[in-house]
Amino acid sequence: MDIRFSGVSKIFYPDITALEDVYLEIPKGEFVYLVGPTGSGKTTLLRCITREVAPTRGQITVGSFSLRKISRVDLSIFRRDIGIIFQDFCLLPHLNVFENVAFVLEVLGAPPREVKERTGEILDQVNLWRRRNLYPPQLSGGEQQRVAVARAIVNSPSVLLADEPTGNLDLHTAEEIMQLIMSINALGTTVIMATHNQYLVDAFRQRVIGIRAGRVVRDEKRGRYSLDGEL
Amino acid sequence: MGSFKYALRDGTRLILRHWGLAFLTVITSMAVFYLIGASVLLVLNTRHIVNVLEGELSIQAYLAPNADYDAAARAVASVNHVTRVVIITQDMALERLRQRLPDRADVLTLLGENPLPSSLEVSIDRADSVESVVNALAAIPLINDIVYAGNLAEKLSKFSRFAGQFSLAMLFVAVTASAVVLFNTIRIAVYSKEEEIGIMLMVGATPTFVAMPFVLQGIILGGVGSLGASVFLALSYNGIITRLKDLIPFLPLLDRSTVVFELGVILVGAGATVSLIASLVAVETFTRRAMKPL
Ligand SMILES: Nc1ncnc2c1ncn2[C@@H]1O[C@H](COP(=O)(O)OP(=O)(O)OP(=O)(O)O)[C@@H](O)[C@H]1O
Ligand SMILES: [Mg+2]
Repeated sequence: MDIRFSGVSKIFYPDITALEDVYLEIPKGEFVYLVGPTGSGKTTLLRCITREVAPTRGQITVGSFSLRKISRVDLSIFRRDIGIIFQDFCLLPHLNVFENVAFVLEVLGAPPREVKERTGEILDQVNLWRRRNLYPPQLSGGEQQRVAVARAIVNSPSVLLADEPTGNLDLHTAEEIMQLIMSINALGTTVIMATHNQYLVDAFRQRVIGIRAGRVVRDEKRGRYSLDGEL
Repeated sequence: MGSFKYALRDGTRLILRHWGLAFLTVITSMAVFYLIGASVLLVLNTRHIVNVLEGELSIQAYLAPNADYDAAARAVASVNHVTRVVIITQDMALERLRQRLPDRADVLTLLGENPLPSSLEVSIDRADSVESVVNALAAIPLINDIVYAGNLAEKLSKFSRFAGQFSLAMLFVAVTASAVVLFNTIRIAVYSKEEEIGIMLMVGATPTFVAMPFVLQGIILGGVGSLGASVFLALSYNGIITRLKDLIPFLPLLDRSTVVFELGVILVGAGATVSLIASLVAVETFTRRAMKPL
């Protein structure tokens, strides 16, 4: 699904401008880093794609969906094709690791056997199979992060939105997660990853979109984390 | 059908998780539906009694000596609420008396010329029109005297009408009360899973899918409550009716098993419907708000 922003602005009540006049084209299958100082609007941009946030001005289309006027049922159908790694994980504390991942598939009405198989597979991939019966509060930050990744990719979405997916990981684990996300991308999933991780951005070179104070200030095909030492 | 299985699993989990609340909700809806059922039974029974009494209700209008039967009958038949007029001639009256006193034929022959007056047997449609019919009959000059069974039936019929209205009002209050209790219980359950619902909606669960466990929870609670109410109602109605039959043997009460069974079916149906609506409203308002973008 191609993602297109045209003239998108978001002003939070009363007068916080989180995005300003953003034009973007992200073709299907692309890998994009979203970089910028804290508070620059990265999370807000991602939340516009999931329609948690409605732009004050401008249009967003994702594939055949125009997000301005979308019915509730269409929105659900649309969201099934979007995997999200939230900046703060958003794991459910009273479900164990397995259930946290499995319930994404249950929501889609997948038969129990398939849910079990697929969840097992993905937990294996993120090295959490042995932790499957633990609850999120019993996990380390990095383990929680991996559960969040597993949940986002378990139903092989067309678009993966990753908000700081390596925030709590040591370099080694961060690289592993990164490899995982890139392998998903190699299968055709569009990935938009907001990150402050300079090492990763510079090691795995991809398209970089830089935003400052809600504006897109640079967009490079094979960019680096910072330009002239500035974000 | 996977979705339904998940909904059933999550619905029962919800009940177990909030078992205290579930228990209170069941008790409340049980009490409410018991009240509804009891007042319906009261109404049905007074209606029934009134109907039976009405069927037996007739006014005797004694005619003046030598009055023209047919003219009198025509006059009476034209009175409002009169459904049937039967002419009882002097001879018929005597014959009836003879039948009533079969072994006293001798006494009757002693009477000589027939001293019994001719009369009209007037049937009317409703118990509470007795008074007006009697007044109208009194105004007919051919009629000498009027005898009727007093206004017991009329009072009963008024009571029955009042009972009907009262229980309708009760019904309304009770259904509203149980709907509110169910609504609140479901809403508490919804809020306890606020986070989970939020994430479910983010990963593409439809509002219907999200609502199902809660609606099931509501239907189970409301259904169990009204079912319990029906069972208690059947037990207590049987007890009361046997007691009453001993006390007032001639009181025409409704046959027990079928009436209570039908009422039970209706109560459970009503309970399930009320809880379906209450829980749907509770979840829907929530998901609607949760899906609204910032
Ligand atoms: N719901 C909201 N209401 C009001 N202001 C908001 C809301 N969400 C975000 N903002 C504001 O919008 C701006 C952009 O926030 P956003 O979360 O998009 O930044 P970010 O780039 O993701 O930052 P970080 O790198 O720290 O995650 C901030 O100034 C923030 O305070
Ligand atoms: Mg952010």
